[in-house]
Amino acid sequence: MIIEALIAVTFLAALVTFVLPDRYAGKAAFALSLAPVVGSLYMWQQYDASGNALLGGNIAFETDVVWLQLGQYDIHWMVGVDGISMPLVVLTTILTTLAIVSAWTPISERQSQFFGLMLLMEANLLGVFTALDFFVWFIFWEAVLLPMYFLIGVWGGPRRKYAAIKFFVYTNIASLVMFIGFVSLVFGLGDSITSLRLPEIAQALQAGQLGSFAGLSAGALASVAFIAMFIGFAVKVPVAPLHTWLPDAHVEAPTPVSVMLAGVLLKMGTYALLRFNFTMLPETARAFALPIALLAVASVIYGALLALAQQDLKRIVAYSSVSSMGYVILGLIAYTTYGVGGATFQMVAHGLISGLMFMAVGVIYNTTHTRMVGDMSGIADRMPVTAGIFVAGAFGYMGLPLMAGFAAEFFIFKGAFESTVMEAMPLFTGAAMFGIVIVAGYLLFAMQRTLFGPFRFDGDYDITEAPFHDVAPLAVLLLLTIVLGVSPDIFFTMIQDAVTPILELGGAF
Amino acid sequence: MAGILDFAPAIVLLPFLSFLIALGAGRYMPKGGALAGIGATAGSFVLSIATFFAVSGGQTYNQHIYTWATGAGDAVSLDFGLLIDPLSSMMLVIVTLVAVLVHIFSLGYMNDEGETGLPRYYAGLGLFTASMLAFVVSSNLLMAFMFFELVGLCSYLLIGFWFRQQGPPSAAKKAFLVTRFGDYFFLIGVVAVFATFGSAAFAGPEAFPVLAEEALHGEHAVNTFLGMGEQAWFTVVGLLVLGGVVGKSAQFPLHTWLPDAMEGPTPVSALIHAATMVAAGVYLVARMYGFYALTPTTLGIIALVGGFTALFAATMGVVKKEIKQVLAYSTISQYGYMMLGLGVGGYVASTFHLLTHAFFKALLFLGAGAVIIAMHHNENMWDMGGLKEKMPVTYYAFLSGSLALAGIVPFAGFWSKDEILYEALNHGLGTDGGLGTVFLIAYAMGLIAVFFTGFYTFRMVFLTFHGEPRSETARDPHGFGWNVKFPLAVLGVLAAVTGLVNMAPVEDLTGIHLTFLHDWLDGGISSLTAHHYLEVLESGVGAGLHPAGIGSIAPGLVSLALALAGAGLAYRLYNVPEPVEHTDKLGSIKTVLYNNYYQDEYQVWIATGVVQPISRALDKFDQGIVDGVVNGVSSVSLFAGGRVKRIQTGVVSNYAALLTLGLTALLLGLGLLGGWFA
Amino acid sequence: MVPAQYYLVLSAAVFCIGIFGLLTRRNALLFLMSVELMLNAANINLVAFSYYWGNVTGQTFGLFTMALAAAEVAVGIGIILVLYRNFDGVDVTNATTMRW
Repeated sequence: MIIEALIAVTFLAALVTFVLPDRYAGKAAFALSLAPVVGSLYMWQQYDASGNALLGGNIAFETDVVWLQLGQYDIHWMVGVDGISMPLVVLTTILTTLAIVSAWTPISERQSQFFGLMLLMEANLLGVFTALDFFVWFIFWEAVLLPMYFLIGVWGGPRRKYAAIKFFVYTNIASLVMFIGFVSLVFGLGDSITSLRLPEIAQALQAGQLGSFAGLSAGALASVAFIAMFIGFAVKVPVAPLHTWLPDAHVEAPTPVSVMLAGVLLKMGTYALLRFNFTMLPETARAFALPIALLAVASVIYGALLALAQQDLKRIVAYSSVSSMGYVILGLIAYTTYGVGGATFQMVAHGLISGLMFMAVGVIYNTTHTRMVGDMSGIADRMPVTAGIFVAGAFGYMGLPLMAGFAAEFFIFKGAFESTVMEAMPLFTGAAMFGIVIVAGYLLFAMQRTLFGPFRFDGDYDITEAPFHDVAPLAVLLLLTIVLGVSPDIFFTMIQDAVTPILELGGAF
Repeated sequence: MAGILDFAPAIVLLPFLSFLIALGAGRYMPKGGALAGIGATAGSFVLSIATFFAVSGGQTYNQHIYTWATGAGDAVSLDFGLLIDPLSSMMLVIVTLVAVLVHIFSLGYMNDEGETGLPRYYAGLGLFTASMLAFVVSSNLLMAFMFFELVGLCSYLLIGFWFRQQGPPSAAKKAFLVTRFGDYFFLIGVVAVFATFGSAAFAGPEAFPVLAEEALHGEHAVNTFLGMGEQAWFTVVGLLVLGGVVGKSAQFPLHTWLPDAMEGPTPVSALIHAATMVAAGVYLVARMYGFYALTPTTLGIIALVGGFTALFAATMGVVKKEIKQVLAYSTISQYGYMMLGLGVGGYVASTFHLLTHAFFKALLFLGAGAVIIAMHHNENMWDMGGLKEKMPVTYYAFLSGSLALAGIVPFAGFWSKDEILYEALNHGLGTDGGLGTVFLIAYAMGLIAVFFTGFYTFRMVFLTFHGEPRSETARDPHGFGWNVKFPLAVLGVLAAVTGLVNMAPVEDLTGIHLTFLHDWLDGGISSLTAHHYLEVLESGVGAGLHPAGIGSIAPGLVSLALALAGAGLAYRLYNVPEPVEHTDKLGSIKTVLYNNYYQDEYQVWIATGVVQPISRALDKFDQGIVDGVVNGVSSVSLFAGGRVKRIQTGVVSNYAALLTLGLTALLLGLGLLGGWFA
Repeated sequence: MVPAQYYLVLSAAVFCIGIFGLLTRRNALLFLMSVELMLNAANINLVAFSYYWGNVTGQTFGLFTMALAAAEVAVGIGIILVLYRNFDGVDVTNATTMRW
């Protein structure tokens, strides 16, 4: 019941925040958001799952009751976590709390609605990561979009309406494509399933129950469903060339929303890819290894090169997210312990580090009211602590050892290099790894030009060190990044435990 | 056995502790945290000495310390471990000694000069030392890579220490970026080693050099990729790792960051160039020498790169005006020698040069630092002159270092450089085929570089200390205290005497056993000993080197003569009261040399002239085409919607008419299909 | 007993008259009346078939429809009043502010 309690408490917190007066909303939202943090940490401490939730593993905190009837299918309220979702649940709660704190300074109107929506989004995200029935999962999946739409569209920058609508329509169409793919699988399975529970569907697919549907043979149906679901999730990730909603959304969104967008929302895409495409249809995935690896490498290099051309600090980080998420795809397609495990680890690591970078950019923006690289230089002179954390975070993003990003990237590279899905995987890995040089290039250039050199600022604002509550979330994130980098086993053990059954499906190792 | 080696982790942890102290509490402490740093590095030094003696007693230490990532099932775990053998214990002593002296010197260079940001400085030094020490004792390639990268981070922080100026942040960025480019290949190499051998340990039952050797003997199979044979694949892996070495050890063509790195505080330069970052690359090759010894192609490339770098950098050192620039190019050149030595199978010779160079280069940098203090932070040698009388301690120490650098008998550099050249000649003459020729070419380049080294070294000495003062500050230099003189004195003595530990030519001459370093590196873990490497080098599966068996005295005399000739030329030209620039005689070559053979230009061009336009073009492509398609789809739908919405007239009668028509059409359609009218 | 076809013809006639009114008139009140005619055409069908099958369900439905029609007229008259106030008349073609 603890998952239901977690989601319900978060919903309640959102409702309470909605009705509070604006001036208390920020502090209250922070206090209320500590409840899910404590809850998720308690879950983590009590965590006793083993194996993969979809493949007959032992699911932690499982609830499975029949909720509705839909034709021949029972709709179950089924929630639970395994080693893949547990770290993401913890990431979601912690990042939301920190994002709420970081919103205290920049959000100056309609606070109660803003913080209420943040908490509402958190509740839905928790639902996405814990739901194990397709119907329930899909409701949460779509429900995440609504708060995000309003958060960008109401509190965003000058082009907020464009960005919000683009985000909403783009991802919604993607969901539709994905939905068609998934439903065709369900029809293809015919009478062999009686509910839409993901474990049941995954196991039926493993047992070879997929029949023909709509004139397609089972194999063709699997391919079509795989492609449809891949496109649907790839938009969310985002994989180049389906990424263009991301920079616009990031640039227009207020900083705390960017933190949530990059930190958690993008992980929905990779999480779903892992749960659906790579767990349910492993043979199809292996058959598509070449195009998927190509897309992964393209995302990494293309995203990094685009980041190099940007002048807006937020756009830099946004495009580099495209690059970082490309590594996740590379790790997933590798089908090795380190590859898929590293990809899952990268979801958490990137969540922390991109959150850190967006927050750091936000703190600078709060003071300077500009994010353009050319508008300032030598900021480190006036904001030494922020600059120091910015530098540390940037090095984390570049994959500095003993920080979480390096662990994730190294696992992925190692896993991808020794992958057996394709003869040429070492070449793809080597090509994708060049991303670590380009990322160093653009972050070092950006830091040199904004943080260092003689102090210069073209605006009218007084540049002083940011207040404690702006810097504290940065410090917490930095600390978490280092802790995870020094001891990746904190999550990596449970991740591997959940990932290994996936590899055994297609006879990997 | 609970011996002193169980305290080895403390060698690394003490400087790390000083980093934390300086970072957290440095601003509340006297001297900005310097004392914590001095105490910590001194403690490490004492422990290193103790370790050194323990190792000389025959102990070694190869222990797993910490599991960084546990692999589930068949996947391998990634570990941290400590490997203490003769090589690493020697390196520990070098690094900790130089670190202590640099910390002490910093009191004079930074604290006494009223510098701000000292806690940051000492935190950086502490972390730098700790990373380097951890790198030195790494028991596997992954751990080595991780601390290799941390060393790079620290160099970034320290080179860019004066971040309020324009130059240092740029130099720091360049240093990190260029070495990062090398590390990219290194990281692929690490991954490839894991994928090939399933282990990246340097020593022990799963040592990858040993596994590679056994694989070449056909004793068991390893994974190779891309359809390559074992020998070819090992060459690829070796070259990939070498990428990191070329970057960090500033070998051609990735040497360009090092002269710029002189923007950092001078004690940092001493630390970077003498004992830490730059040494890390060469140390890494020495550490996994058992692997390189198996692949002749890699050895040939190492030798060529080393020989070429030695010569190439020495020629650039000839025309520089700033004292630190001369030293920078001499560093590149000297590391070229070490690479040359490793490439030609002179493992002991290179390690020897690593040892002597650490002392005399630290000495020269600290000496230059003292000169710079005296000159009120003016580094131009043409403004100096006549400093000999005013700062005798610095002068004699600097002279000792210069003699060592130039390779004049009996100072340290002579013995080690001479041994490298001897090995190159010996193996070059003895080895058949292309490899022998490559070694001889590398030898020739190294030999010519000796002349240039002698020349630029003494040009620097004469311009700085001899003649008449050429500026106001040189007439009345700034004084300094014991904290500057003490490190200089210690290193001055070491630069003079370190060479005595391995006097191969004298052994040849007298027959008395004098090659102690050779004995030292022969001890320890059997797969990591000098004679094991020699066996591999000369065996069939290895590189197949053969010594020609020539004596070491004649080659030694040749290189000594060349060094003296270089020094003598410098004496002729520059040891005059009023020296003038002779570089104009070089004509257009001078311009080329001043511009460092346009190496910077083409690398900057690659960054700004190739990569940036590409990224801008891609940005246009992304905004125009990729996003254009997205926006196009939305425009088309908006346009279509704009047209179709005209149906919505707002007139109720029209709606009613449409409804009726629709109903009629539906009925007709159903009727026709349903066959009502049939 | 009157055959069911007669009722159906009647109902169709009433319905067509209603549609004709709907399509040709512009007066909102006449609109409402036409709609009532169409509704009653349906009612005739319900009652006729109920009678035909000897089942009261249709009659019940007829009663319900009448009640609904009354409610609808109430709402419709309300709308017409507003229409009159805002557009100075009950011509439905004048009120086109709800278009695109």
